[in-house]
Amino acid sequence: MSMTPASLQTTAYRRIEAGARLAWIFADRIEPETILHYVLEEDGRLHDLSGPLLDSAQALSPHVPAADWYERELTERFGVKLEGLPEGRPLTEIVPAAQLLGVESSEVSTVLYGPVRSGIVESARWIVETAGEDFIDVHPSMFFKHRGLEERFTSTPLELAPFVAEHVSGVTAASHAAAFCRAAERAMGIEAPERARATRAALVELERVHQHLDSLAKLAEDGSLSVGSAQVFAAKERMHRLLAQATGNRFSRGVICVGGTRFDALTSLREACAKDLDLVEHHARAAVGRLIKTQSFVDRLIGTGRLAHDLVVRCAGVGPVARGSGVSSDVRASDGYLYTPLLAEEALERNGDAVSRALVRVAELQRSFQLARNALDANPPGPYAAPIRVADGAALARVESPQGELLYFVRIHNGAIARVAIRSASYANWPLFVPSLPGNIFTDFSFIEHSFAASQSEVDR
Amino acid sequence: MSWIGYGLRGGILTTRYPNGDDSMPPAYRGEIDVIGSAPVDAAIGAGVCLSNAIVVADGAAYVDRLRCFQCGECTRVAPDTFHARSHFELAQPVQSPEATFTALRKRSRAFGRSVHLRHVDAGSDGSEEQELAAIFNPFYDANRLGIFLTATPRHADVLIVTGVVTRAMAEPLQRTYDAMPDPKTVIALGTSACSGGIFAGSAEVVGPVSRLLPVDVMIPGSPPAPLTILHGLWVALGQALARGANR
Repeated sequence: MSMTPASLQTTAYRRIEAGARLAWIFADRIEPETILHYVLEEDGRLHDLSGPLLDSAQALSPHVPAADWYERELTERFGVKLEGLPEGRPLTEIVPAAQLLGVESSEVSTVLYGPVRSGIVESARWIVETAGEDFIDVHPSMFFKHRGLEERFTSTPLELAPFVAEHVSGVTAASHAAAFCRAAERAMGIEAPERARATRAALVELERVHQHLDSLAKLAEDGSLSVGSAQVFAAKERMHRLLAQATGNRFSRGVICVGGTRFDALTSLREACAKDLDLVEHHARAAVGRLIKTQSFVDRLIGTGRLAHDLVVRCAGVGPVARGSGVSSDVRASDGYLYTPLLAEEALERNGDAVSRALVRVAELQRSFQLARNALDANPPGPYAAPIRVADGAALARVESPQGELLYFVRIHNGAIARVAIRSASYANWPLFVPSLPGNIFTDFSFIEHSFAASQSEVDR
Repeated sequence: MSWIGYGLRGGILTTRYPNGDDSMPPAYRGEIDVIGSAPVDAAIGAGVCLSNAIVVADGAAYVDRLRCFQCGECTRVAPDTFHARSHFELAQPVQSPEATFTALRKRSRAFGRSVHLRHVDAGSDGSEEQELAAIFNPFYDANRLGIFLTATPRHADVLIVTGVVTRAMAEPLQRTYDAMPDPKTVIALGTSACSGGIFAGSAEVVGPVSRLLPVDVMIPGSPPAPLTILHGLWVALGQALARGANR
């Protein structure tokens, strides 16, 4: 939908006030204009309000917290000027450490946590203002891992572009490839055959299993539950072995392509799953079931990193982070998801703390096994890929990645990729990390971080 | 039943590798071979390989394993020319194998019976981290080989770098390296870290790692499997001669 420019921000704001969720704001450069897109969700459907950027464009973030990161990134990266945007530390530009450590009083000290941290973790920095054990204020300082992925797409032939999507977040490669391909297919007006859609759905559900296990194993590790953590990690390893046999890669890379799948992966998945999926599920259920019955572990998570329902709604959180606070957000329940006959019953918890998010993942884990089986058992006949007829166009698509709603925008011009924009679930959820901290102490940090299970590489891009 | 009882009841899962054999599933795309006598058209490489891993010289071709990110597209487009094998011992030393073997052996004697790893993410896609963490799961249990993680660079013998090295990560990476005591070994983990992968030449990156630090061992893969990482660590400790390293 294209709007008269003056009304674009006002219209978006009115609809958000009326209950729409702001899913995304991004820019697309079509010379000589910059086009702004405001993506809203109303009644489970996405609406893309777009129009050219004018001098008088107003920032939404003074009234809409969910707009904060999007508008700051637009300002810093695209030179977009928005009136009324609050001043603050830059979001995407790296500020040298020396400049950050200036302010210090006798009570409050500023600690830089990262980008290199202990353990095997992705690089990100937090500027923590603390008075001993308590968090006074925390500012995320990220984008150390910015690799220019959105730009990388534009020099890539369409057939090879899904491989770029798989580099945005290697641990959720199937979700990224599926979302990119779906957007590209819609932009060109084609649809992948049913067999390919079932394959993609199964791959995304199996991916959810290994990533939810990863999050739970890391929480167990934080809680010094070493045997528990080892058992959950072992269950995760079994899933990777199954995928290596079925797809040739432990993270299901190299399967999904524009138009369908690169080979008949449904057949190899059915074979590998018939042989091993029951056993993988048995081990996953046993280890995870035991974990959430370990009282000392659960006690450690109760009340940690609490997010109120209203806060999650205002900041437009997604995925298990939103569902842990009782906020309904599951793309799988929306119309025409990856593979239509696959309807997910949403897992919701109410307390909004780390244990609620863990319980959401435990419930989803069990459902994901079932959803993957449904897609495999459906075994739709026919081709696994549709022929590509390259045509110009632009479209949005979304996939429920393990972290939550993942959005891709693809515009094809003169038969080549002209613009790809990515809004990952981790990006949508990181702004909620900061308000989850006050009231907690330093040693809670890693519990809360792992209960978010964000992927830094998909945030930084 | 206690966690310990539950853990014990599961029996031993741990591989004997590298002291015994292990393998990846037959369908795993570890390494791409060029089928012996197949004539290779130089144009094939440019069209199917996003990271320019297919090298053609004088009508003969090979796949540069440090650039290959294991997507398998070449085997799909030209199955008569390219063939994927489940081979996982992909690590290679930067110096000649014999020189590295001696030097690293000597150095790892200085480390004593155990080595401590320090990891830095310099711009990975996140999967290298999960595979590196996996070498400590019960299936691989790197602790049995005397391999441990350490939180501080001051205690570290080996620096493992994942990711392509973005502009913003160059300085933190250098500082971590400088903070480590000598002697120290540097490993580039993952195709992006080894060669830049699909980001080679991009304005956003300053890597690969070898442009900034003296890399001793390259462990390619996208991501490298845990067995590949174990093999690479074994090479880095001077315990194994990498096969095919002269390629």
